[in-house]
Amino acid sequence: MDVYEVFKRSGHKEPFAHAGAVIAPDSEMALIMAKECFLRRREGEHLWVTRRSDIHSFSDESLLEIAADKSYRFPEAYRDVVTKREKAKVRAKEVMAERNAS
Amino acid sequence: MTYDEKLARFNEHIEDGGKVETNDWMPDDYRRGVLKFVEMHANSEIMGALPERECLPIAPSLRRKMSLAAKIQDEVGHAQLLYRVAEDLGKSRDTMFHDLVTGRSKFHNVFHYPVRHWGDVAIIGWLIDGAALVTQAALRDSSYAPYARVLKRICAEEQLHLRHGEHITMELSAGTDEQRAMFQEALDRWWLPIIHFFGPRSNVAKDLLLRWKVKTRTNEDLRQEFLDRYVPKILELGYTFPTPVPYRDADDYLVRDEDIDWEPLNDIKKNQGPETERRLTWRRDIYETHRWVRDAMAEPAVHAA
Ligand SMILES: [Fe+2]
Ligand SMILES: [Fe+2]
Repeated sequence: MDVYEVFKRSGHKEPFAHAGAVIAPDSEMALIMAKECFLRRREGEHLWVTRRSDIHSFSDESLLEIAADKSYRFPEAYRDVVTKREKAKVRAKEVMAERNAS
Repeated sequence: MTYDEKLARFNEHIEDGGKVETNDWMPDDYRRGVLKFVEMHANSEIMGALPERECLPIAPSLRRKMSLAAKIQDEVGHAQLLYRVAEDLGKSRDTMFHDLVTGRSKFHNVFHYPVRHWGDVAIIGWLIDGAALVTQAALRDSSYAPYARVLKRICAEEQLHLRHGEHITMELSAGTDEQRAMFQEALDRWWLPIIHFFGPRSNVAKDLLLRWKVKTRTNEDLRQEFLDRYVPKILELGYTFPTPVPYRDADDYLVRDEDIDWEPLNDIKKNQGPETERRLTWRRDIYETHRWVRDAMAEPAVHAA
């Protein structure tokens, strides 16, 4: 018997997401069990199972951390675009007034 | 079931808003059409990284340089995601890459043009990513589900690129006469290519990809959404447009069909744009010089005994 991890997808637009695990002698049986456990009420339309021993992860989770300051990868880094936009509009008004005057 | 019966059932499925997965039955024309479309999109992402790559050395600050490099990394990542989707339809990544660098396949028109200064980075990040976002957001409803799913992630990143581009645009626009002139000069060069970006009017009767809902909206519809969204913003910043000059009609900003000169696009379709040859050669050289990295990565780890 092996532990099988179960993934389900609720529709064509969603990615597969982890739903839980079952214990089964082979993948066919794992699918049947997974369907009974996780799709009894149509909680999804598609199902995957994979042996837990075939799943790999980092043994040292600190390796998942971002090594340096990469704040520019996040939207918060650009939040002051709002004040910049206001400044740009004021500047544009000046420029347009000058243009009209000449 | 005969082929015709299968086809009729497929058409009905699509008509009802049904989606298609990689292993589902699909007509050969559907498979070929999606493959070509996604391959072109992937090519455009990886070629689109190059014009901005050219601007890295002229970034005005270290922070700008790092954020531009991060955006370029995202674009290359988009290409990798899309090549993966295309590969599952039956063409290997090596073949797609070979077809790209030998000029046998295509990439988006805007990436065939030169960049001159930091004003180009503002235009690319704000208006070209903005145009791409309009088209890609529509494709999240594509009938080919693996493509639609990958676009979800891509659009989220494009949203950030848009912010990054707008940030640079607003900085230039609030700045000195010289900074504003940079943006205006870049806008004058890029405006027509951006109008071209959406393509000529769709031929709805002939366009199989539209009929099969791989594409969900016509070229002119997408262009119109772009114009309505961005023209007022550009006008508000005090800039002017070259031909085709948009004009206001009730709530819409329109351009006249007869004002659009399609001639430059014809050269690009033949892969004879101003920068096509140089960028393809560059892309090929990068591929060659990085071969050792790919080879090294393909080897399984060697563990000490
Ligand atoms: Fe992208
Ligand atoms: Fe982008």
